[in-house]
This record gives sequence, C-alpha cells and structure tokens, in this order.
Amino acid sequence: MIIGKQKPFEEIWDMIKNFKKVLVFGCNTCVAICHAGGGKEAEILASMLRMRASLEGVEIEVKHAAIERHCEPEFFEPVMDNVRTSDMVLSLACGVGVNFLSERIGNIPVYPGINTEFYGAVPKAGIFTELCAGCGDCILHLTGGICPIARCAKSLMNGPCGGTNNGKCEISQDVDCAWYLILERMKKLGILEKMFEIQPLRDWSTGMYGGPRRIILDHIEEVEAQEERKGS
Amino acid sequence: MVKAEEKVLSVEEPREISSGWEPNILAFACHYCAFAAADLAGVMRLSYPPTVKVIRLPCTGKLDYIHILHAFERGVDGAFVAG
Ligand code: SF4
Ligand code: SF4
Repeated sequence: MIIGKQKPFEEIWDMIKNFKKVLVFGCNTCVAICHAGGGKEAEILASMLRMRASLEGVEIEVKHAAIERHCEPEFFEPVMDNVRTSDMVLSLACGVGVNFLSERIGNIPVYPGINTEFYGAVPKAGIFTELCAGCGDCILHLTGGICPIARCAKSLMNGPCGGTNNGKCEISQDVDCAWYLILERMKKLGILEKMFEIQPLRDWSTGMYGGPRRIILDHIEEVEAQEERKGS
Repeated sequence: MVKAEEKVLSVEEPREISSGWEPNILAFACHYCAFAAADLAGVMRLSYPPTVKVIRLPCTGKLDYIHILHAFERGVDGAFVAG
C-alpha cells in the first residue's frame, strides 16, 4: 500500500492560516493504515489547527471529514457539494488523491497535509518498509522475490556492490543489503547459480523515467461506453 | 522551516498567573477503579476543588486523543486520566 507521513504541523499551519473555511479531508484506505491521513488523523489535526488559530487570535473555521478513497470518483460524489463549501481543502490523502481532487473541485485549492513516501508493507504495527518502486517491469522472479530496485540503495541489477558489509548496506548499518538478502534467499531456494547470470542493461523507461504512465483496459472501457450509450 | 515542536513550545511559554486563578481540570476516570475511588472519597466526606470535573468512562481504554483535544479546545487547563 501507499505509505505517507504527516507534514510538520508548522508547515501545515502556514498552508492554511490565510484561509477562512478549511476542510481537513482524510482518506480511509492506505494512509489511514499508516496513521497519517485517515478520518481519525483528520479529526485530530482539525482540532489542533482550531486551537492554533485561537492562540493566534485568527478566525478560521476548520472542519474535518473523510471518505474511503480519494482516487476514484464515485467516492467523492456524495460529498462534493459539502467539500465545495470550504475555501481550501487540506487533503490527507496521498499525492494521487490531492491531484485527483484538484482536477475535480473547481477553483478551490487542495493542499497536501502529508508527504507521500513509498509503496510499503507493515511488518509490525507502527513499522513501514519500502519494498517496491513500481518500476513497470518486475524482475522478482530473477531475484528470489526481493526487489533490488526498491531495496538496494543503488538499484543495482547485478549486485552486490563492494560496499556490502556483513549483510548491511554501506549507506547505513540500519539498512539491510538487498543483494545480501537476495543471495541468502536464492541459496535457500536452491537457485544460487541464477545469481551469476549477468542481467543486461535495463530499460528504465517502463518506470517513472519514461513519463507519466497510463493503463487502459479496452474491454472494461468498452463495457462502460456501452452502459453509457444505453443510459443516454 | 521551523520544526513544529519548537514553535509549539514557544506557545507554551509560562504566562503570568493572575491571583485567585484556579485551573479547570477535567478528570477522566474508569468506572471500575478511579471513579469508585472518587465515590469512596465522597463517602468519606473528602473534598476537592469545584474546578475539577469528573467524567466517568467504562474504561480509560475508551479514551482517545480527540477527547483530550476537545477538552483543551473548550478551555480546560489540564486533563487527568485515572484508571
Ligand atoms: S522489480 Fe519493479 S515491480 Fe518488481 S518489486 Fe521491484 S520495483 Fe516493484
Ligand atoms: S551494499 Fe548492497 S544494498 Fe547497499 S548499495 Fe551495495 S548492493 Fe546495494
């Protein structure tokens, strides 16, 4: 899922302090799981902003709300009229949600209340780790299920580098060397010889370096179009 | 960028306290222990300042951040959680 982290309070305050009616708008999916931007966090942040406003002696109406997802239009439909009564939305959704709402809301600014960090897992409550970088051409079958693109500091395709140090990466003793993990995993799977196959130069354009990506499922698009034709 | 904590701390700078000021304290008490103790205190005719208000909870595990924040928003000076 997408992992995010709330922005420093002062940065958020600077974003909202010149508005009169602010909606702190949470998203109850990924960012709620990482305690950054769900309905609960929206409620807490709204309360803290109201207190800040009263300490500063400025009048700002700060409300909060949350919907299940900020990345699909149907979740917005029932609430959009209410959302438009604010003169600024502080979105606690990931960057996708902020973009998506910005395109739909009209002349109301939508600002980010969280920093969207990475695609990650939750190995333990309160711990979130980056495991995939969405490269668009997965090679996990070649690396024992451990991603060198997201988890090796240099995204090496033929690792490890000379900096590997007793299982740790040279950037920090707190970071596992991804290629050490790959090697250990391949040993366990009995496919260590695959490690020695040289991976060719990679085409990075399948990832974000190739520009914004879009996937269109023709069969689903066609069904939608048919439904629309029936309806009209 | 100024860190949130720094700015919040400066907001918390001690201010002059006018004479006769009494803090408004909200006590969140668990029904099964602290609230029962408060009851007992009553039975024993022990008194506490009228600026302390007690809210009974089924369990202090019910208490959420937002309840404390709401209390501060409405002007209490301190929250006391007992359970
Ligand atoms: S190889 Fe690409 S798609 Fe596969 S886990 Fe790594 S970044 Fe994600
Ligand atoms: S030490 Fe390991 S994880 Fe770190 S950069 Fe080198 S190969 Fe990648």
